[in-house]
Parts: sequence; structure tokens; C-alpha cells
Amino acid sequence: MADFTCLVVEDSPMMRQLIVFALGRIKDLHVTEADDGVDGLRKLASSRYDIILTDINMPIMDGLKLIQRVRNDPTHRETPIVVITTEGGSADRDRAIRLGANAYITKPIQAPKVIATVKELLKIG
Amino acid sequence: MGYRMAEDRKNRSDAPGHDLGLERDQFLRAFKGAQLSKEFVEEFEGLQRRLNDLQAENGRLRAAIEADDAIRDLLRKIEALEAEKRELLSHHRRVEELTSDFNARFHEMEDDFANLANLFVASNSLHSSLSPRAVTRRITEVLEQLVGAEQFGVYLVANGGRTLAPIAVVGLGKEGPSPELLASGAVGHVARTGQARIDDESDPSVGGVEKPAAIFPLQIDDNIVGVVAIFKSFAQKTRFSTVDFELFKLLGQHAAAALMSSGLYAQAERKLPGPEVFGDTGR
Repeated sequence: MADFTCLVVEDSPMMRQLIVFALGRIKDLHVTEADDGVDGLRKLASSRYDIILTDINMPIMDGLKLIQRVRNDPTHRETPIVVITTEGGSADRDRAIRLGANAYITKPIQAPKVIATVKELLKIG
Repeated sequence: MGYRMAEDRKNRSDAPGHDLGLERDQFLRAFKGAQLSKEFVEEFEGLQRRLNDLQAENGRLRAAIEADDAIRDLLRKIEALEAEKRELLSHHRRVEELTSDFNARFHEMEDDFANLANLFVASNSLHSSLSPRAVTRRITEVLEQLVGAEQFGVYLVANGGRTLAPIAVVGLGKEGPSPELLASGAVGHVARTGQARIDDESDPSVGGVEKPAAIFPLQIDDNIVGVVAIFKSFAQKTRFSTVDFELFKLLGQHAAAALMSSGLYAQAERKLPGPEVFGDTGR
């Protein structure tokens, strides 16, 4: 299987650690972490990623703005985006999907759900 | 007989006038002998043909017997193959059962791993700072992001145990429930007794201040230093899972220690204790 690269954009170190733990269960997936949307964009500008997981509520630049910017970036226009949000309601989630997110996961996150979503989007058997 | 005829002919040429009757008898005997020989030859030829036929028949019968043997061999092989097939099917069923058990066990282990990861991350997060503000923020993070709590409060026991002072109230405005309500209700009861009260039968997302979904004490050894009250969970969190109960236990012990350590550190004006504080504990 070819190696895949993943960018996790999450301002909470605890959630980042948990997501990275979960993604560590996927063989040959290399994970890069970003603290917020701006940090995420910086990392997207310097490398190509196969999938992006982003929180919605973040300081400096939130996940929705990040999705807009990614969808206007020719390099990552087609890159799958998974939104991770604490919102139980559907407003932010629907907005994220309209902006181009491919899937969403609501907190509290479950590692098996994260793994299954990422594998499905990367088409890993 | 041939010698005698030659003798007769000799006698006849040398001495003509022999008895014709005798000659005729001799001729007839010779003729009958020739006829007999011919019959013998014919009979011999018939027997030869019969022998050939029998040999051919014998060959055919031998071939048929050999064919029957081949069929018997084939039948034996079919039986052996049928037995092997039955054995393989039985083995396949056993392997399927094992695979199913293995898959179930694998999923269990994955869930256990995820739960342990949650606990590890929560514990790691709580003890990664000595700032009371940061510790409090991490407690709220664990409650919001790992447990899925929407409305909750973290309270410390104050005034010698008579009141509960909020150090974090989330989802209920700045004040949250009144100290009187807390002290007189279930939250106060948990603070006094140290007995957690978790409603594991109702949907925690429909709870509220009057009917908290979970209350558990913050304890250091036997000292109750505070209480966490989860009044309501997020809409998608409709029941507490095994890992939530583990997180409540972990928070009850580790959050209390982390809060008190950070409080003492702040009280000591962020001065780290020297080795003398630990006395002879290491010896």
C-alpha cells in the first residue's frame, strides 16, 4: 500500500493527541499536526496532503474558513476534508459540507469512527 | 499304407493280372483315408477358428474385468474425495467460527485501545500544567470533548465543607445554579458523602440543573476537595459508555490532585519544592 499523508488541524492539544492516537492505527498514514487554521494553511502550502481533518471552532482561523481556502487551492481542491466538531446541532456541520467538506465526526470522538471515516475517504481496504 | 500301394503298383507293372477286387478295396481305403484327412483338416480349421473366437472373447472379457476394476478404483477415489470434502467443509466451518470470534475480539480490543487512549490523553492533559487556570481548562476540555458534557460545573468545597465554590461553569451562564441549590441538592449530597451519583438509565442529554446526569466527587485519598456535576450532555450523547465511567473515576482522582498541586504551586508563588520536601521517602 502506498503511503498517505494526513493533516490534523485542531487547537486543543488533548484532542490532537487523541486524533493522532487513533490515526496511528492506520498503517502507512503519516500525520502532521496544526494548531489552528492559519498554521494549517501554512502546512498545506509547503506539502501535499491526501486528507485533512479539521476542528470547526478554533481561534485565529476557524475550520469553515480553512475549508473555503483549501477548496480554492489548486493543489488541495480535491483533497478529502473531515470536519470534527463539538456541535450536536447541524448548522455548522451543514455549512461545512456546503463549503466542500466530505464527512464530519462529532465530539466526543470515537477512535473506530475516525479510523473508518479516514479509511473510507482514502479508499483503504 | 503308401508303401503298400507302391508295392502293389510295382507288383502290378511287374506282374499284371492281379485281382481287381482287391485293388478296388485298396483304392477305396485310400480314398476314404483322403476324405478322412480332409475332414480332419476341416475340423482342425473349425477348431482353430473357434480357438481364435474364444481367444478374442477371452480378451474382451479380460478388458471388461479390467474396466470394472477401474470403475471400482474410481468409486473408491470418489468416496475418498467425498470424505476429504466433508473434512474440508467441517474445517472451513471451524475456521469461519474462529474468524468470527477473532473479528469480535479484534473489535473489542480496538474499543479497549480507544478507551485506553482516551484515558491516557485525559490523564496526560491533566498533569501537563501547574497553572490552576490551565488545569481547570483541561478538566473542562476532558468533560466537553471526551465525555460530551454540554452543561456542567466544577466546584471546590469551601468554608469548611459548608459551601461549593464554582471554578468552572459551562453551558449555564456565568453563575450557574445557586450555591444554596447546590448545597441542598444532589450535588451537595455527593460533596458530603463522597458517593458518586450517576444516572445510567436516563438519557443524559435531557438532564438539567434539577436532574443532573452525573455527579462525582474530586478526592485526594479520603478527602473530598470538590465535585464535578454534569447537568446535561450534548444531544448526540444519549447514554454514558464504559469509558465515561472510567473517565469519571480518573477525573475524580487525577483532577483533584492536579488542581490541588497547581493551587499549592500558585500559593508558593510558583516556587518548585526542593528535595528536602520529600524527606527520606526514597530510602
